[in-house]
Order: sequence, then structure tokens, then C-alpha cells
Amino acid sequence: MGIYRTQIEIVGDILDVTQNNTLDNDGASVTHIIRRANVSHGRVSKILKNLVSQGLLEQVNYDRMNKYKISMPGREFLQAYKTFSNFVDDFGLTI
Amino acid sequence: MEFLLENILNLVGFAVGLVIGIFAYIGYQNTGSPVLFRLTLAFFAISIGFGVIWSGYMINTFYLDEDSINRGIQALGLGIQTIGYFFIAFSHTIKSFFPKSRYFRSIGMLPLFFLSIMNIEHIIRSFSFILLVYGAIETFVSFFEGKQKAALAVGTGLSLLAFGEFIAWYSLIFPESSLYSISIIIKIAGLISLFIPVSKLPLRKIKLDDDFEDDT
Repeated sequence: MGIYRTQIEIVGDILDVTQNNTLDNDGASVTHIIRRANVSHGRVSKILKNLVSQGLLEQVNYDRMNKYKISMPGREFLQAYKTFSNFVDDFGLTI
Repeated sequence: MEFLLENILNLVGFAVGLVIGIFAYIGYQNTGSPVLFRLTLAFFAISIGFGVIWSGYMINTFYLDEDSINRGIQALGLGIQTIGYFFIAFSHTIKSFFPKSRYFRSIGMLPLFFLSIMNIEHIIRSFSFILLVYGAIETFVSFFEGKQKAALAVGTGLSLLAFGEFIAWYSLIFPESSLYSISIIIKIAGLISLFIPVSKLPLRKIKLDDDFEDDT
């Protein structure tokens, strides 16, 4: 049986994907996020919209495509998420 | 002197538990994780438990002018601590702790029957001991699976708390010995060991809005 991810884990994965792409180029495409973060197409647009409205992601137009870059608050959130995730792991638990 | 030492150690236990609880609460505020919420409850309960026992000593010393703590207050404090240990232990899903063999299961239940004929403090301590041993085993299993090196510190901390509970239970048989003070020292060492991974937490709060939490 597969292990379901929690909401916060999905958000963490999406931010992680966008951070990795922001370092190299001009953001991650929706297709790339779907593939790398393993989120369904129907779900990802709503999550991305929320993350943009929260200021954790920035939506940019690059080469006539909508792409997503992680913002500075997004980076800070991701760092905090990873720290808390490690902390919970220390107790043998999952965040 | 021993009375004073017990007071100081209970106060330290209260403070350490409170600090860890606050760290876990900050984590809960940042992420909204139910696991962090349970850890928050656990460490606040442990802190309050130590605090109640410490308050009991203070009240008896300064208002009632007695040398020993009221047994009811002692049992209340220990009971609150046990609630904390419960939240730590049962944040884990039950995996491999309970043996499959019917024979070993029956052997494993024996301590409960031995302790149930004694007073309520013994029973509470035995429950705390069992919960802490369970939490420690699950954490060590996680460590051996290679998830986190800091799990060793947490597992050691829970083990020390369990050992402290055992010594405290044993001190009831030898009340004139210094076993109780030793048990508190061991428990404080356990709390400090638990504090090691908690001390890495950031103190900044980042909040997701309610719609976001509901929709995803």
C-alpha cells in the first residue's frame, strides 16, 4: 500500500522543485512541477494559485510560457519546513 | 538537602519541558502539522506535570510546614506527565512493539498484574514506563532505518526518562534511599537529550491562509 503525503509535504515538494529550477533558469513550468512533485494536473493549478497569492511563489512569463519561481518568503518557508520535517523525523515520525 | 534538590530538579524539568513544548508549538504554527501539535501537547503536559509536583513541594514547605509532598498532588503531577508520554508514544503507529507470539504477549502483561495491587502512584509510574519504552523503541527503530541521526538523541532521551520512571518506582520500595533524587536527575538528563534536536528549530512564524489549508 502506498504512503499518502500530507498537504504540507505536497507544498514542500512543489517549493523544492521550483527552488531547484529557479537556481538554474527562469522558473519551473507547470508540466515540470507536475512531473517532479508528483501532483495531479487538476490539483496543481489550485495549489500554485494559492502559493502565488501567499507570496511563496512568483508567476513569470518566460518564452510565452507561464512559469513559477520561488520567492524569498518561499525560500524561508521551505527552509523552515525542512527543519521542522527533520525535527519530526528525529522522533521517528512524519510531518 | 535532598528535599531541596528534588524541588530544584522538578523546577528544571518544568522549564526544560516548557521550552521544548514552545519549540514544538512554533513548529505547529509554522506548518499546521498534527504531529507537531501532538508533540506540543506532550511536552506541555510533561512540563505541567513537573510543575505540579514542584508546586506541591513548595506548598508543603512554605504553607503546611511539612517535609514530604502530599501523595495526591504527587499522583496528579505524575498522571499529567503520563498524558505527555502517551502523546509521544502514540504519535507512532503500532508496528513491531507487541510480539506476535501468544506466550510472549502473556509474559509481557505480567508487570501490569504485579503492579495493579499497589497504590495509584505505582500504577501511573508503570504506565509512564511502558509508554516511554514503547516510544523509545519506535524511535530507535527509526534511527536504525537510517532516517535521522538525531533520532539517537531522542531515543536516548526517552530511554532515560523510562529508566528514571523505573528508578522512581523502585525508590518507593526503599524510601529512605536517594533513589528518587537519582531518578529525577536521570529524567532531567532525558529531557535535555530530547532538547538537542528541538534546539535546531527556527523561531519564525509563517502562516498559510485558511482557504489554502482547506482546499489542498
